Amino acid sequence: MSTVADERPQGTVPGTVPLGRALGPRIAAVVVLLAGAGLLVRAIGDAAQHGVTVDGPWLAPLIVTSGWVVLGATYLIQSWTAKAAAGERGERAPRASWFVPAALMAALVGYALVLEYTVVGYVPATAVFFVAAARLLGDRPWREVILRDAVVALALSLVIYVAFTRFLDIQLPAGVLPL
Amino acid sequence: MNVLLDGFAAVLTPENLLFAIIGVTVGTLVGVLPGIGPALTIALLLPLTFNLDSPTGALIMFAGIYAGAMYGGSTTSILLNTPGESASVATSIEGYQMARRGRARAALATAAIGSFVAGTISTVLLSLLAAPMARFAVMFRAADYFALAVLAMVAVTALVGRSMVRGLLSLTLGLFLGLVGIDSLTGQARFTFGSVNLLDGVNIVVVIVGLFAIGETLYLASRPHDVPSTVAPLEPARGFAWLTRDDWRRSWRPWLRGTALGFPFGALPSGGAELPTFLSYTYEAKRSKHRDEFGSGAIEGVAGPEAANNASFSGVLVPLLTLGIPTSATAAVMLAAFQIFNVQPGPDLFDEGARWCGR
Repeated sequence: MSTVADERPQGTVPGTVPLGRALGPRIAAVVVLLAGAGLLVRAIGDAAQHGVTVDGPWLAPLIVTSGWVVLGATYLIQSWTAKAAAGERGERAPRASWFVPAALMAALVGYALVLEYTVVGYVPATAVFFVAAARLLGDRPWREVILRDAVVALALSLVIYVAFTRFLDIQLPAGVLPL
Repeated sequence: MNVLLDGFAAVLTPENLLFAIIGVTVGTLVGVLPGIGPALTIALLLPLTFNLDSPTGALIMFAGIYAGAMYGGSTTSILLNTPGESASVATSIEGYQMARRGRARAALATAAIGSFVAGTISTVLLSLLAAPMARFAVMFRAADYFALAVLAMVAVTALVGRSMVRGLLSLTLGLFLGLVGIDSLTGQARFTFGSVNLLDGVNIVVVIVGLFAIGETLYLASRPHDVPSTVAPLEPARGFAWLTRDDWRRSWRPWLRGTALGFPFGALPSGGAELPTFLSYTYEAKRSKHRDEFGSGAIEGVAGPEAANNASFSGVLVPLLTLGIPTSATAAVMLAAFQIFNVQPGPDLFDEGARWCGR
């Protein structure tokens, strides 16, 4: 996504923070580095257990995860030094809102768990998820749009359910509704 | 050459034209959804084509879906400033400004006609170039393919985006996802962590939806200040004349220049549409007689990049069909789709694949 993101105008002052203080890239770099290190340990374990040959299946994981760790460390260092320098020059980055993406992620994970582990079924789960997502992404007062959102959500999830199960032969969980 | 003409004849039957129309319509409908780029549109709509009896019809409908998805992507770039993929970013710069000034109709029309012109020219080039390329590619051995794959991955990583470290990091993440599951050569399970679901590996559609749809949604959700707030009302339409004579005069050269830039760049094994679209934009912005209009909605800035975008995709089909190398996300989805249709892109395609055109 970075290529698209990079082209967005970043100069508007009201919604920006000084670049040096942007925490996101550093957190991302730490997470990436830790994940890579964990997988490298795993790859080394596999390699030690099975033995490594050039044409065997255990060499590629070693190469890929080592590359991951090296690049992740480089990125972490860069995100400290480069961002600090940019902050001193007075460059600004768009201020990111954390609540909405985090809540969306939570809703998405909850939606997947409900579909996978309960008998609620596709239509009710999707309708509720749609209303929640529309609420999170929209700014208008709750009372004005809740009815419209609910109608759209129900119609949309029903149409998708019928289209996929009847016409495309792709099974979706039917759940509690007698469909 | 006869086979080629047979191919055109097969496409021009009423039934196959109908498949094409259905494909374009559905592709545009899904493609105009903000944040859903061509790659994701194709991935989502691919199952539609599975139920057709005629494989030729399925491929034609698939091509229609692709064309519709591309145009849908331009539509969101122009109307909402939300390019569905990096190739439409250049279009959105001037296109969105045109829309804000009430000239959305002209912007969409020059994008559509430019795409048609560029697509037609470059498809003819593709059919002329592909066979010689394939004959050359037949000489390739495993080592050559490996070298080519490394070149393509490194080139794409280095050229796309601003940070090479982030690009290479993404590359290793992608390579890692490819490792998950049973190794097709040795049958060993790698990185499955005891989960049966991971034995088959990570499905490409899941990756694409996660990267393009979820990623873009979360990105937009984190930037509440970027949401455009003012759009001028549309200029009144004059019948079907959505482009004035002046618009035509200003558009046709950028269309042709965009095509000339897009096709060769797309055909390189490092492919992709980012370079030619931005080159076309820069060229038009520097050379146009209406230089002063750039930044506030110059039609050349839509016509050129859109033509380059379409032409470069026909160019991208050259390495995809002859070498089996996808050089853009959309091409990667198309490669998966071809394989589902039992068409294996690569040097052999042009020996075995003629039957696909003739039926």
